[in-house]
Amino acid sequence: MIGVDAPVVRVRDARPEVTPYGPGIVRYSIVLAMILVVASWIFIIFQSQNQGTSFLSIDSAARAWNFLTNDLLGIDQSRTPAFLKGSVWRDIAPLAYDTLLMSVLGIGFASLVALATFIFGARNVMTGDLAPYGGVIWRLLFWAVRGLFIITRAVPELIWAFLIVFIFSPGILPGAIALAIHNSGVLGKLASEIVEGLDPRPMRSLQSAGAGRVQVLFYGVLPQALPRFITFLLYRWEVIIRTTIVVGFVASGGLGQEFRLSMSHFHYTTVTLILIWYLGIVVLVDLISAGLRRLAR
Amino acid sequence: MRGQGLRIRTLTTVDSRKWLTVILIAAFGWSLASVKWDSGTLHTGGLSAVGEILGAAFTPQISGGVLKLGIIEAWTTVAYAVAGLTVALVLGAPIGVIASGVLARRRFISVINVGWARLVLAFFRSVHELVWAWIFIVAVGLSPMAAVLAIGIPYAGILGRVFAELLQDVPEEPLDSLRSAGASEWKVFLYGRLPMAMPDMLSYTFYRLECGIRAAAVMSFVGLGGLGHQVQLSLQDLDYGRAWTFLFFLIALVALVDLWSSMVRRRVSA
Repeated sequence: MIGVDAPVVRVRDARPEVTPYGPGIVRYSIVLAMILVVASWIFIIFQSQNQGTSFLSIDSAARAWNFLTNDLLGIDQSRTPAFLKGSVWRDIAPLAYDTLLMSVLGIGFASLVALATFIFGARNVMTGDLAPYGGVIWRLLFWAVRGLFIITRAVPELIWAFLIVFIFSPGILPGAIALAIHNSGVLGKLASEIVEGLDPRPMRSLQSAGAGRVQVLFYGVLPQALPRFITFLLYRWEVIIRTTIVVGFVASGGLGQEFRLSMSHFHYTTVTLILIWYLGIVVLVDLISAGLRRLAR
Repeated sequence: MRGQGLRIRTLTTVDSRKWLTVILIAAFGWSLASVKWDSGTLHTGGLSAVGEILGAAFTPQISGGVLKLGIIEAWTTVAYAVAGLTVALVLGAPIGVIASGVLARRRFISVINVGWARLVLAFFRSVHELVWAWIFIVAVGLSPMAAVLAIGIPYAGILGRVFAELLQDVPEEPLDSLRSAGASEWKVFLYGRLPMAMPDMLSYTFYRLECGIRAAAVMSFVGLGGLGHQVQLSLQDLDYGRAWTFLFFLIALVALVDLWSSMVRRRVSA
């Protein structure tokens, strides 16, 4: 199993054909990928020349070095850098805690939505060989749920947050909901793919013993799928905690809000302190997630 | 004796899963309780905004000018993503190979190399791409290269880690047969490990392209172009319909990449 948000799921495909595409697809894909790479770089280089500032030059390297030492680390400044003041550390601590809460809330909502819907997004259970009664309505439901997964997943958290702030007052809740909308699609799709990749034999034997749809679900599908779902959920939490700061830029909660304010007030040593707290909770969440994953095994 | 040991182990597994569930639900409950739930949670008129936003999804603006703009901005987004991913590959793949520790011969040196490579990768990926972008832009100035590097660096961290794990997970038996035929570790790597890990590496890179498109779309937040920029502008005009047009462009882009990657994936891993 691979870490980092979407482990490569080896899906035992529910569809009968094994290799639906000829060897040409790989060749065409490589050519297309190369065209894309070349075209993108030409576009980027052309655009950066239009913008006037040359990003990769000695001049900009000097500016970056100045920003790092002078502004972020506050070496040449007369004032004490914020990250050397205990009081500022204490001021930022509750924001770090809020960020943590936001991430837990976000993944919690996302899991609830994913748990309520993933079964309808699994091809084998809805329309495949495990659905002997598969009618038109089930088919429609399958495509509706899959479509919803695609839409929620395709739009990143930050853009959902742009929309959500029209509805909720600033705080950790709108950020959590923006995180949840995107991640319900991610988790829902992953969970559906887990179900599609399940060993079908236990389900079939339940069916042939006379179990109904619901019984197959509870005694065949869920016991196999849920432990793996929890593992994915914990992996996903590691990604979400990194995004929470970004959602906070817009939804005004936790470290993100303070990062944005400090940036616009040129309080760069505070930015450094926020980044230290940010890295701290990222490492903390990675450790907690690894520990909890061991429990799931 | 053996059966008994087995039974005890299953019991603890079930037990620890139960504990895990309790912990997860408790954490969620705690964070739910920490939110202030009162009349101020929603904006006044927040509920009608829900209706307007959702309603606008069914009436996106589809005039020629908006569509043309959508295509241009979609290309900008793709270009940032693809260029960022090339940086990630160039940077992440070699560090990933070092971090996997498969090439090392002497144990001491291998521990040191694996150590620093993993640390660098972990540092790259712990900071979100938008935070990188913001810092680059403040440090150096507004340029598309900032977006490319901002996507490239954290993605190098992620790709490197995943490549390292994939290279380690390759089954050892075929490699041993290469070794017994006299192949050096480099040759074992080139003719054994790499070809065997390649399909999974390829499909993960494709998945990252999809993520890169999303990441490129939000680069607008720090002042760069792309689909996110147009969504932001439309929302500033409270023009939800136009915002949805660009959102649908983004959704279509991601769906296209997803389709492409699943076609390639089904071919190479079949």
